[in-house]
Amino acid sequence: MKRLIRLTPILIIPALLTLLPDRLPAQKFMADDGYVEFVSTAPLLEFEGVSENLTGLIDLETKMVDFYVDLNTLETGIQRRDRDMRNSYLETDKFPFAEFTGELQTDFDPNLQETQEARVNGTFKIHGVEREIDVEGTLTPNGDSIQLEASWVVLLEDYNIDRPGVLFYQLAEEQTVNISIQLVKTDN
Amino acid sequence: MKKIQSILLALLCLMLFPSLLIAQLERERVVTDQPEELIFMAPRNINLYTVEPLSKGELHYSIMHTFGEVNGGVSELWGIDQGANVRFSFEYGFGEQFSLGIGRSSMDKVYDLSSRYSLIRQRQNGGSPVSVTVIPSIGITTGSYGFLDVDYNLSDRLNFNLAVPIARKMSDDLSLQLVPMITHFNRVGFELSVADPAENTYYSIGVGGRFKIAPRTAITFQYIPPITDAENLDHNIGIGIDVETGGHVFQMFFTTSRALNESYLVSSGNGDFLDGGYRFGFNINRLFRIR
Repeated sequence: MKRLIRLTPILIIPALLTLLPDRLPAQKFMADDGYVEFVSTAPLLEFEGVSENLTGLIDLETKMVDFYVDLNTLETGIQRRDRDMRNSYLETDKFPFAEFTGELQTDFDPNLQETQEARVNGTFKIHGVEREIDVEGTLTPNGDSIQLEASWVVLLEDYNIDRPGVLFYQLAEEQTVNISIQLVKTDN
Repeated sequence: MKKIQSILLALLCLMLFPSLLIAQLERERVVTDQPEELIFMAPRNINLYTVEPLSKGELHYSIMHTFGEVNGGVSELWGIDQGANVRFSFEYGFGEQFSLGIGRSSMDKVYDLSSRYSLIRQRQNGGSPVSVTVIPSIGITTGSYGFLDVDYNLSDRLNFNLAVPIARKMSDDLSLQLVPMITHFNRVGFELSVADPAENTYYSIGVGGRFKIAPRTAITFQYIPPITDAENLDHNIGIGIDVETGGHVFQMFFTTSRALNESYLVSSGNGDFLDGGYRFGFNINRLFRIR
């Protein structure tokens, strides 16, 4: 009990410190209206599953990068194909999100108003399967926002997404994921 | 005591450096409720219409076959040699709820015109627990009946059917449906493929279902009990397998009836399933995008 009493000031001081204004200006940038597309390129047919509900966050203080999209918002332009995609391939009832969480590996200066190359290492999760990946992209500061563009390749087999044996859609095994999002500075 | 100290130290660190908290975004669904989709793989489940609607601008083409009874043995190649009743049809979706279809069956040379109206959709979160579709259809036999004392006029050739599939996706794998249906033939006789040449009106409540054994493969069944007080009706039993290949749905089945449309499913005779009175059949379903 005496030790607890001795520890009390140690607890109170930092508690008071948290009431003070932030030591650094806000370093978080967020948005929930980003663009994501999954491009399937087979020899005779290319189509995209597109959503404009990509939600993302970059925390420059911790270098954390976090993105997800509700896969039920993906549309390919053919409703039957969308239904098949949701129900037979992605199984969105069970696995509603595609998500990526990682850490920025490269330096980034938000005050430098020019496009900067970026590399993020993290975990991409879709269809209930997680895999560690590296993502290359660019970050472009623009006033109080950052424009992020990135692209990577997903092999459906790696995520236990089974394709039909007879390919009438010509769904490609290799899907290119492109994301584009304007992240806005937030005080949260 | 050491444990308490460790906890206090961790709290201290978090208070000094709140950014150490892994502040991932909370995952929130954009689409929180939508109609159940793909309750069945195709607008048909073996022979019965389903509640599976077409979307606006979708064209569904299907070709359906039933062959002879398998109890003919190998000399008849288990019914294949006896030729097939073939029905091909086109159905077009004019909206998310309404579609029109036209089909032609070789048995009795029947053309049929049908519409499907999706009255209620089962929802994923609350709302209706079932999907209900209303399917009125009209058929016209185009066979030549000149051998009869009184030839068929246009009105004699017409038949009418109303089917109301009521379906529920019980789980990702299991879907079931009840299909109350009633059919009226303006004129019947031995020349038509109805079970009882003296009965004009037939009704029943069909049962159908599918159970997925793989993401794109399902075991299917149908049963149409002989409720109508008519001669020669028997139990319509069908079991099959659906294989969805991304654009096409192949349906292979054994069934006791040659019939391929609602009017005849409820009115034509059936073989005895337990005595080899069933036949092989298959459907190919293809969806096209027109606009």
